[in-house]
Amino acid sequence: MGGIQVGNLCHNVGSAARTMMDTMDAIRNILADQFWFSIVLGLVVFGGIQGAVAYAILLERKISAWTQDRYGPNRVGPYGILQPIADGLKFFLKEDIIPANVDKALFIFAPWMIFVVALVGFAVIPWGGSFKWGWMEATAKPMVVQVASVDIGLLYIVAVSSLSVYGVVLGGWASNNKYSFYGAIRAAAQMLSYEVPMGMCLMAAILMTGSLRLEEMVDWQARHGWAVMYHPIAALVLFITALAEANRMPFDLAESEQELIGGYHTEYSALKLALFFLAEYSHMITSSAMMICIFFGGYLVPGWEWLNTTPTFGAALVRVAVFAFKIFLFICLYMLIRWTIPRFRFDQLMRLAWKGLVPMTMTLVAAQGLVLYMGWSQWTTTAVNIGVFLFGGFVSVAGGKAVTGRQLSLRRAEAMG
Amino acid sequence: MESYLVYLAYAVAAIGSAAVYAALPRDGVAPRKSFLVPMLGLTIGGVVVLLDKFTGDAAKTWYSVLLVVLSLGGAVRVVTHPKPVYSALYFVMVVLSTAALMVVCGAEFLGAALVVVYAGAILVTYVFVIMLAQQSHLGTEAQFSMMVDYDRSSREPFAAVAAGFVLVATVAGVIAGRGASAANPVPPPVEGNTMALGRVLLTDFAISVELAGVLLMVAMIGAIAIARRRFPKSEETAAYQPGEIGRHVKPF
Repeated sequence: MGGIQVGNLCHNVGSAARTMMDTMDAIRNILADQFWFSIVLGLVVFGGIQGAVAYAILLERKISAWTQDRYGPNRVGPYGILQPIADGLKFFLKEDIIPANVDKALFIFAPWMIFVVALVGFAVIPWGGSFKWGWMEATAKPMVVQVASVDIGLLYIVAVSSLSVYGVVLGGWASNNKYSFYGAIRAAAQMLSYEVPMGMCLMAAILMTGSLRLEEMVDWQARHGWAVMYHPIAALVLFITALAEANRMPFDLAESEQELIGGYHTEYSALKLALFFLAEYSHMITSSAMMICIFFGGYLVPGWEWLNTTPTFGAALVRVAVFAFKIFLFICLYMLIRWTIPRFRFDQLMRLAWKGLVPMTMTLVAAQGLVLYMGWSQWTTTAVNIGVFLFGGFVSVAGGKAVTGRQLSLRRAEAMG
Repeated sequence: MESYLVYLAYAVAAIGSAAVYAALPRDGVAPRKSFLVPMLGLTIGGVVVLLDKFTGDAAKTWYSVLLVVLSLGGAVRVVTHPKPVYSALYFVMVVLSTAALMVVCGAEFLGAALVVVYAGAILVTYVFVIMLAQQSHLGTEAQFSMMVDYDRSSREPFAAVAAGFVLVATVAGVIAGRGASAANPVPPPVEGNTMALGRVLLTDFAISVELAGVLLMVAMIGAIAIARRRFPKSEETAAYQPGEIGRHVKPF
């Protein structure tokens, strides 16, 4: 009897081990299939971004504190590192108020719209090149650390980010509040204006690398060096427009607290307000990732050829870490700018876009096209960039009309008082 | 031999037009749901049958049927919703689902361009203008009677639906009459659709592209010329009288 039991036990252990082996094999097969790997990666990226956003808010509070010679949040956990959890709990537990005279459907829809739009842009970001699992055959197609590798990568990001204005505009209008509505109007005008120079910068980069795919742009930079060397002004203008598209500080007229009491999200509370914040910070991360892929070498480290080409999972993880570090630097730059530079006035904002950035970037696109057509060296565009910068500086200094001046066409209207 | 498909296309267009006619807003008369729902179901069923006959395998998946339903339903709501802001948003839905259909059919660039141009730029300005014209509190159901009459009831619903029927039936009938040629699309180019499209646009159709660019430029200059505020030189320094603005301004 004892023997039978032991035998059964052995059998059970054996079958359990076999089941485990089968499960492991199944998991390995799933992970080696690009479709399922993309789904897993999408979930991981979604979770990672949410965590990163929570800590970006803490980082923002810390950086604002250090800029203003304060300590910042330091009560919840050591150095305040549990503060995001406390904030999140607070957002969950507050009463979710829907005011009486709002357009209820749109009032609820707007924060979700802006949140979803801010998240789907991550699908085409190449996080860490390609790699092969240890159990894959040598001839198998390598896995790509990217949720979707589509033919129109960059255009997809532009299309998605052009939808982000709806959340702001609908939220502001549905609130049925004049301040919210002012915020919505400003946001619409601002985002439409700054999409033009953004498109021009992207066009210069697309012409240079000859591809719309972000991963091919990174490959191009692996061969030729970071694109920022050839188009420094395009990179700068792209950064400026990214600030404007994310409604960040010098361009946060849509929510300026002093005039509009928060603008489009004045009437929002609890989880819906949290969605607006999540969307804003997610948007910062997307636009940083896009800029890094286009102009700052993506996951590449200059001089570390072995890292850029090793096709193992570990190396891919290191590349993702490099990419994340670059994003972190960009986020810090965003935050330093927020706590350093004052807000633009609205006419200055419009003049900067239409009279400053658009002509500059048009010149760059034309120069890039000429370089391609004539077959000149790519360094020609560096010279053109420097020339555009010097000319713009000369005009703004010698022209006597700095951005702080008054708008000429408003002179008599202003006299109305 | 398959001429019954042409008549099926006409029938689908006719039923759809009747459904839209029933759904158009009238003063105080709610759309009859018992009539509307089966009509819309019939329309969608007919469209699905037509899709099944005339498209390649790409369009026979469940998600393309879902996208077709979304875009058709959204299009009906664009013309029947009493609140203009919602109409514009349904228009956005139509654009998005149409773009997704284009992606399903392998035209990624066209889909992305549609979203950038229509949803991202043109419809934002629509929404912008509509919002300026109408405050949100006027749109709640309880205040239906406070809405202006052009939002409450549609003008000339029968003529509009008849014109729409002729347009849709013509296009659908032509496609149905062409037979199965649409089911065998040209194989996709090796270099990718986007690159091939760019090449064709800038070689075979270079003049058309340039002309379109010039046309847009002229339209932009015209818009700036119309919108610009002008003040005669003599008035630039004169003291301003209240109510004076715009009185002495000549267009050219």
